[in-house]
Amino acid sequence: MSTKASRTAARLMISPAVLLLLGWMIVPLAMTLYFSFLRYNLLMPGMESWAGFENYRYFFTDPAFWPAMRNTLVLVGGVLMITTIGGILVALLLDQPFWGQNIVRLLVLAPFFVMPTVSALVWKNMFMNPVNGIFAYLARVLGLQPYDFLTQAPLASIIGIVSWQWLPFASLILLTALQSLNSEQMEAAEMDGAGPLSRFWFITLPHLARAITVVILIQTIFLLSIFAEILVTTNGGPGTASTNLTFLVYMQSLLQFDVGLGSAGGVVAIILANIVAIFLMRMIGKNLDA
Amino acid sequence: MGRIMLENVTKRFGDVEVIPPLDLDINDGEFVVFVGPSGCGKSTLLRLIAGLEDTSGGRILIDGKDATDLAPAKRGLAMVFQSYALYPHMSVRKNIAFPMRMAGIPQDEQNRRIEAAAKALNLTAYLDRRPGQLSGGQRQRVAIGRAIVREPSAFLFDEPLSNLDAALRVGMRLEISELHNRLKTTMVYVTHDQVEAMTMADKIVVLQAGRIEQVGSPMELYKAPKNLFVAGFIGSPKMNLLTGAVAAQHGAATIGVRPEHIHVSPTGGAWKGRVGVSEHLGSDTFFYVEDTGLAETITVRAGGDLELYHGDTVWLTPDPARIHRFDDQGLRIA
Ligand SMILES: Nc1ncnc2c1ncn2[C@@H]1O[C@H](COP(=O)(O)OP(=O)(O)OP(=O)(O)O)[C@@H](O)[C@H]1O
Ligand SMILES: [Mg+2]
Repeated sequence: MSTKASRTAARLMISPAVLLLLGWMIVPLAMTLYFSFLRYNLLMPGMESWAGFENYRYFFTDPAFWPAMRNTLVLVGGVLMITTIGGILVALLLDQPFWGQNIVRLLVLAPFFVMPTVSALVWKNMFMNPVNGIFAYLARVLGLQPYDFLTQAPLASIIGIVSWQWLPFASLILLTALQSLNSEQMEAAEMDGAGPLSRFWFITLPHLARAITVVILIQTIFLLSIFAEILVTTNGGPGTASTNLTFLVYMQSLLQFDVGLGSAGGVVAIILANIVAIFLMRMIGKNLDA
Repeated sequence: MGRIMLENVTKRFGDVEVIPPLDLDINDGEFVVFVGPSGCGKSTLLRLIAGLEDTSGGRILIDGKDATDLAPAKRGLAMVFQSYALYPHMSVRKNIAFPMRMAGIPQDEQNRRIEAAAKALNLTAYLDRRPGQLSGGQRQRVAIGRAIVREPSAFLFDEPLSNLDAALRVGMRLEISELHNRLKTTMVYVTHDQVEAMTMADKIVVLQAGRIEQVGSPMELYKAPKNLFVAGFIGSPKMNLLTGAVAAQHGAATIGVRPEHIHVSPTGGAWKGRVGVSEHLGSDTFFYVEDTGLAETITVRAGGDLELYHGDTVWLTPDPARIHRFDDQGLRIA
């Protein structure tokens, strides 16, 4: 695509798709923006009136707002950290030749296919439950007091559950990147006197940089809007200990039927997502350049 | 010092014996070339010496010390790979510095060696580029630079020039030969290009299916090939191999005559034939002569000004002193 004619043709060809996508995005965004400036409660239909920035003021001064903000960032950061570091380790393991490699790779991928609600339920009832859970059982076997994960460390527990779901994704992407590493490069490094750790640090990790960037960017998009896991396990509690921004918007708009307030929250979430995106692209986006 | 001895070295991949027991002695300062057809085990042998593959049997001695189970880095050898194997995310300078960095050599000594290597290899202008921004020949020189700075006791090259175009190949061939003359370090060089083998080597090792067919200087191999395989492999164009009555006349099962040892005449000679394809190179002309009744085609080399074309009748006369005779086992008859 280098000649002028082919570039023009390419633009013409993709323009319908771009316009459609734009419409698809702009309409809901515009409506959300519009609603966020209305006093609009579903319990009093037909009473909508202009509210100015009042919804935003309510949202920002909500005692749950700052905790939700903090929880969102901790959740995203925690899961990213666990899945990238864990993903690299798992990918390194899976890259070793061993018997039954294909089946193990398939099994590692399995958590990704489990619906978030289901996996959260499984974790809540079968693993973390202080009476019936496996962890509680293990604790009793060891003579310890069972730990009530979801009450005593709700955010950490949710980070654990979400990490478990996303680890396969990270591992898989990193594994394919690992497999594309030229083996002669590794051998050259070996001849150059680099031990296993140096080889990992100087050869493997730089080679993985692009894949790690992709993993972080894609996961961030999804992690900013984690919802089902929280709804199923802790319902945002105790208090606001595990409420993130998405969950706060849900509580505002759906539990209190306040569309205006919810929309304002949605807009705030969009702004936060963009801030995070800019921040990330600044930090690691250069890895994506060839 | 870089004396490498292989004693009964074998290599098996699973059940397949790629290298049957093999002995080889590489002297200090020698330029040894492994040649052989594709898949004959040249790379495997080189990787065994480098330590990148474990031997299945036998011993490898480097400077008299048993290195069979030594890690690659501990053998004091440097290797240049066919794909160059440069580190893509490091600048040329960092690539060259990498082995010294791993060895913990002080920074100023590192810089001194980098500058020296860059100067010798014409890389000074490119030190801050990444490998991706270099041409094939430049990458090859970086790979050689990375090998030089370690000051190894021997260099191992695995088809280092096969990714380069013909002109560049000739240039790099000279550079590597020059490097060898200057450093006087042992070099083991794998190629299947027999021009490289003939021009660069002090000693050629001809391999077939993991076996050594003959070891000797290029001229020894050219003048006295031990068997039919070496006779056919060394020399370009290939030696003409004739069987049957002509061979029997010389008391052999097969005789071989090189194209350059056959006299061509349009008027008279020992064997009559008809010119098939003729390749006029200017300096030389190669004729592929058919219908001699001796072999499908006989290749001959003549001077550049012999004007014979497709379909012309020619007479060929072999130089009797340069006829190679082989018995029915394919071995040379002295
Ligand atoms: N890792 C391996 N596992 C099994 N067989 C192998 C392995 N590596 C090489 N071989 C086999 O060993 C034989 C020799 O291979 P090698 O790479 O040494 O050939 P080569 O002489 O270098 O050929 P080329 O000129 O094409 O590079 C080949 O038949 C090859 O199929
Ligand atoms: Mg090879």
